[in-house]
Amino acid sequence: MQSIPYQAPASVSEAVALLGSDAEARVLAGGTDLLVQVRGGVRKPSAWIDVKRIPDLLGVSVEGDSIRIGAATPAAVIFEHPELQRLVPGVAEATDLIGSTQIQGRATLGGNLCNASPAADTTPALIAVGAQCIVAGSGGEREIAVEAFATGPGQTALAQGELLVAVRIPKPAARTADAYLRLIPRTEMDIAVVGAGVALTLGDDGTCTQARVAIGAVAPTALLLEEAAAALVGSRVDDDALARVAAAATAAARPIDDKRGTIAYRRKVVGVLAKRAAAIAANRAQER
Amino acid sequence: MAVVVFSSALAQHTGGAGRVEIEAARVADLVKALCERYPGLRGHIDKMAVAVDDEVHSDARFVRLKPDSEVHFLPRIGGG
Amino acid sequence: MSERKFKQVGTRPIRHDGLEKVTGRANFGADYSLPGMLQGAVLRSPHAHAKIVSIDTSPALEVEGVKAVISGRDFPIPTREGDRQQYGDVPDLANNVIARDKVLYHGHAVAAVAATTIEAAQRGAEKIRVEYEVLPPVLDIESAIAPDAAILHDDLVCQGPAPVPSSPTNVARRTLLSGGDIEQGFADSDVVVEREFTTPMVHQGYIEPHATVVETLENGNVTIWCCTQGPFAVRGLTASVTGIELSKIKVIPSEIGGGFGGKTTIYLEPLAVELSRRSGRPVKLVMSREEVFRATGPTSAGRVRVKMGARKDGRLVAAEVVMYYEAGAFPGSPVGAGCMCALSAYCFDHFVIDGYDVVTTKPRVAAYRAPGAPIAAFGVEQVVDEVAERLGLDPIELRLLNAVQENDVAPYGPKYQAIGFRETLEEARKHPNYSATLGPNQGRGVASGFWFNAGLQSSASVHMNEDGTAIVTTGNPDIGGSRAAQAIMVAEELGIGAEQVVPLVGDTESAGYTDLTGGSRTAYATGMAIIEASQDIVRQLRERAAKIWGVELDGVAWEDGRAVPSNGAASDVEPLNLAEIAAQMGATGGPIVAQAAVSPPMAGPGFATHLCDVEVDQETGKVTVLRYTTVQDAGKAVHPSYVEGQMQGGAAQGIGWALNEEYIFDENGVVENPGFLDYRMPVASDLPMIDTVIVEVANPLHPYGVRGVGETPIVPPLACVANAVAAATGKRFTDLPISPPRVLAAIDGD
Repeated sequence: MQSIPYQAPASVSEAVALLGSDAEARVLAGGTDLLVQVRGGVRKPSAWIDVKRIPDLLGVSVEGDSIRIGAATPAAVIFEHPELQRLVPGVAEATDLIGSTQIQGRATLGGNLCNASPAADTTPALIAVGAQCIVAGSGGEREIAVEAFATGPGQTALAQGELLVAVRIPKPAARTADAYLRLIPRTEMDIAVVGAGVALTLGDDGTCTQARVAIGAVAPTALLLEEAAAALVGSRVDDDALARVAAAATAAARPIDDKRGTIAYRRKVVGVLAKRAAAIAANRAQER
Repeated sequence: MAVVVFSSALAQHTGGAGRVEIEAARVADLVKALCERYPGLRGHIDKMAVAVDDEVHSDARFVRLKPDSEVHFLPRIGGG
Repeated sequence: MSERKFKQVGTRPIRHDGLEKVTGRANFGADYSLPGMLQGAVLRSPHAHAKIVSIDTSPALEVEGVKAVISGRDFPIPTREGDRQQYGDVPDLANNVIARDKVLYHGHAVAAVAATTIEAAQRGAEKIRVEYEVLPPVLDIESAIAPDAAILHDDLVCQGPAPVPSSPTNVARRTLLSGGDIEQGFADSDVVVEREFTTPMVHQGYIEPHATVVETLENGNVTIWCCTQGPFAVRGLTASVTGIELSKIKVIPSEIGGGFGGKTTIYLEPLAVELSRRSGRPVKLVMSREEVFRATGPTSAGRVRVKMGARKDGRLVAAEVVMYYEAGAFPGSPVGAGCMCALSAYCFDHFVIDGYDVVTTKPRVAAYRAPGAPIAAFGVEQVVDEVAERLGLDPIELRLLNAVQENDVAPYGPKYQAIGFRETLEEARKHPNYSATLGPNQGRGVASGFWFNAGLQSSASVHMNEDGTAIVTTGNPDIGGSRAAQAIMVAEELGIGAEQVVPLVGDTESAGYTDLTGGSRTAYATGMAIIEASQDIVRQLRERAAKIWGVELDGVAWEDGRAVPSNGAASDVEPLNLAEIAAQMGATGGPIVAQAAVSPPMAGPGFATHLCDVEVDQETGKVTVLRYTTVQDAGKAVHPSYVEGQMQGGAAQGIGWALNEEYIFDENGVVENPGFLDYRMPVASDLPMIDTVIVEVANPLHPYGVRGVGETPIVPPLACVANAVAAATGKRFTDLPISPPRVLAAIDGD
């Protein structure tokens, strides 16, 4: 067996110090992406820094006007969290789509973000709800908007020695709701061919007052779509507005042709999913 | 005498004859006699499965023929 | 036979190997280990088509821990006797196990290393220097048969009826079946439908990768542990490839995590044998999933053109089917079987079936569940559907009008004996699935299928324990619940419960010769040997009772697991049960053991009819299977749960083949999706509960009427799903897989 040194720090500062001293060390959370990559010879880390014993990285809490999800919190803990399901159902359903039941017991939210796959399911859902990444480094903490966190396939805005500690989601305002949809040819155990997350707020008369639309798996990183959001704001989220959301999503997509889908297919279907997610979010907001 | 029914593919080697009557006790004897009568069949029918009276054998050499037996040669198949 | 009242046959006892399997205790191929064992790694070709100019294996030996390294030149030169057999001859097999002069697909084995750790073995393999002269890849049927195609095998001359090419070619064999006058047949038809279909290369997708452990002794004896459908096949083929005497090889089959035909041949065993011989240590070789995809058992990609004519009254008149199947690197696609199955469900007065076996620089195909039949049925059963549509007839009605029955002549020559095709159609028509209400964007498909059951050779031994229980040993690895079925057959004859019989899978030295678990033959052929041996045991039990009672054999009958007096003899004695007779074995003649061997003809064909309801998302092209029903003639279901399991499993594999599975090759012939993430087999949540209806039309060749059931269920689903999608969308899908992009493009008219 190949042997890789392993350390399990108990605090963020300890982890940051370890990461700062070894550029090739990798943070290990659930390991559902990393261990596969190491076994496949794609990565050869010099050391594992296991962050699952750092209390600050674990659990979901709702305090004041924000929701905080520790970066090493497993997917199952997130989507089974009743308050989270109520507040940000789109984020919960995106987390529930990762892998399979067994994988969801291990895979973490932070891992999904740091793996920086263009097709990561939680990313568009988190962008839609305006989530921020809380990052710790030797100089203290900083926040990075989720849409700026991944900078390319497998690349993040983390500097050497920095650790993703948690994700902070603003607690949704009244009559605000979100939704996430993805397309896979199967029903589970697959990677999104396209994904779309939408969060929106409805006024008392049913007019959309705020919206965020994000799409995944159609560009090197997930995209936040200003134009699609603009199509919703001021509308009653009717068929005409939804058609403009779809058109905006299709226009913004810059997908590739690969074994998982074609350019033409991804462009069409990202529009379909964006409009469907917007309709679901609007229905949810209506009921609040 | 046993009757041999040839597929159109095998009939290319029998001068077009589709049904041939031949005297033989066992399939091996029948194959030998056929190859003598139609040398073009050699290397073909000796490697095929054989149906004797509608029962298909993958190796039929020693299957006994009745005076009125009907014989077909078929491609061998493999199963999964 | 039909009057026989069964007591055990048709019951559903818990499988004997169930506890070990559900608790993870059962040993599969990779679970074996021996003291001092080395780990092996295989170096594989980075090119789809190349000459091996030179191989220098010596740098591998410089890696610490490496104990042996081999290449193709370390094996005897394979010699060819006669022409190539339909399923590939030994030289082809040997050249597939390890390339000698030429690599013929990306992933083709070229060398192997054994070392003290897997990492050292892999490092050693990386050090081997191979110089290749790269040749153009040949990646589809069109380019393989083109006049200027790169030729894979300089000595490959096409076999089969004229006209075929006489110079070296990539077409290995032509199969031609015909009857009547095809032109007249089409002229007599009121409706003619003609379409061309394609199917991609797909893998069996067994969950357990190939694995073997080999130990060699100083006296040359070799023991092979491996997962296989046929330990005797592994012994014979390994002997041929390595040149070791067959009697020096012992093969011990592990439990098997699926095979579906893909484990009827060998890949790793000769390499491990040679590495073990050179190192003097046991050697283990285990494939990764990627190696399984790149270098083992897919089934053919196919191109099938079907032209079919019918009269207004629904009578099918004429059909012409032209099929090209890719064999991969070496001849031996199942196109011959495809030809025999293509039109065998219906009566055609006029037909031509023309099949071509084509080599391409892709992995060598291996058997896959009803090899060749699903590809043919994908075309034929869709055209039958379209004929019904054009005539305004119900698709089951059209099939019933034309279905073959006993004494009809099959297109391949002989007449059918008793078969249950019509019964499957009638049951399907009665099934609630066929009348369930369909909503918007939903559609229903029907398709039927046909497959043979192999006979081949089987043996079985049964012996009694002194407490009256029994043990049955065969040489068939249990791939689909055969242990339970075998115990039931012994129990039926002896008149005891199935749980009182221990079914064993023997190795090549403890079981009599038995052909592989495959070809839907085990319950049928090995079952016949088991029944015969069990009947011999019953005769011996009666003899022992006769001895105890002091009467002649005919004074003892066997009823419900007991010897009872008959013919007026010894009427005052109490019946003797099995345990009482077994307890007196020593005094009555010694142990009670029996064995039997059979080599029966092929069993009567098995027919199935499937129903499928789908819903198509008009905006994404995604197909959801809502309902699926399988109806099949099992002859006699020995353990109905395992018959139903075969029907459901075959349907599930066929649905995957229809909707999403495909090998995706790049322009260099490299498989881009060699893993289950991107080779999209269905997962459990993709499928509805698959309903099953077992029809029992007794097979006249088997004492219980058993037909094999394992393969037929994969024949109808490809066309059944396609017919359902056609009904839901109004578009005909002639190319597999019917994946979301393809469906959406058709809906949008792109």
